[in-house]
Amino acid sequence: MRYINIPASEKSPKVIFEPKKYFFEMEGNSRPENVRDFFYPIIDTLKEHFDALIRKANKNDDEPIFNFNFKLEYFNSASAKFISDILVIVKNCNENNVKIKVNWYFEDGDEDMKEVGEDFSDMITFPFNFIMVKR
Amino acid sequence: MKSYEVIINHKGPIDLSVIDSILLTLKNYIQDKQLDIVLRKRLYTLAVECLDNIYKHADKSEHHSDLISEFPSRFIVEKIGDDYMLHTGNIIFDVNKEKITNKINKINNHDQEEINKLYKRALMHAEISEKGGAGLGLIVMARSTGHKIKYDFEKINDKFFYFAMQLTLKK
Repeated sequence: MRYINIPASEKSPKVIFEPKKYFFEMEGNSRPENVRDFFYPIIDTLKEHFDALIRKANKNDDEPIFNFNFKLEYFNSASAKFISDILVIVKNCNENNVKIKVNWYFEDGDEDMKEVGEDFSDMITFPFNFIMVKR
Repeated sequence: MKSYEVIINHKGPIDLSVIDSILLTLKNYIQDKQLDIVLRKRLYTLAVECLDNIYKHADKSEHHSDLISEFPSRFIVEKIGDDYMLHTGNIIFDVNKEKITNKINKINNHDQEEINKLYKRALMHAEISEKGGAGLGLIVMARSTGHKIKYDFEKINDKFFYFAMQLTLKK
């Protein structure tokens, strides 16, 4: 079982993946210098884990809900593509009986960040839980 | 008379350290002026996408350093009244002129709702290029400004054009 624990930097978000706690979180700013080097390992790890989870999903009804928290302040267009790739994994899980919850955080007044979450949710036809945060 | 202020005026090479330094200047400006959250994020988004575009797509050739000094890349942010104008400029190969024109015209022919649909479709189907671009930059710019992207090409010689783009962000 692979974990992810990437600390935040000025240009890249904090990313935590703790499969035993059923928890994935991405927080901060995302415009990594090399967007492929940053996101590919994260997506590979998630794919590997959730493919395995999907294989046993039907046999294990009492599996807890997996929480995906997105607490993003800013992300560039290339990062948006990779976030959408992560959300396709979520969609795939949902369609294969793996219980998932997506929590999309946005700052009070940041209508664009809320809207972009709604677009992602539309795109994967999976409802998000929208959480407004006061500064 | 409307107020006028130049916030950023960069003419010269645009590499990763120049981008960082320009974005830091812009961040400080945004914080100083305490801009509304939507406006400040849109301004920052536009700046990042414009600079990324120049960094990833400006066509350079080591054999044309004289051209580069005569037609340097540029990135300008100015405030006119309550509105912001962003100007970019960079050299491109003539073969890329048509591709860029078609891409911008396609976006400019859509209204905001259609651009949002275009964005979602592009997200699903985007491929990340060797340069790390997703081909979404122009669509994101159109989403953020809500206005048509203005552009122009100036012929430099048989092989190169200078591509200039202008974005307006209204309060």
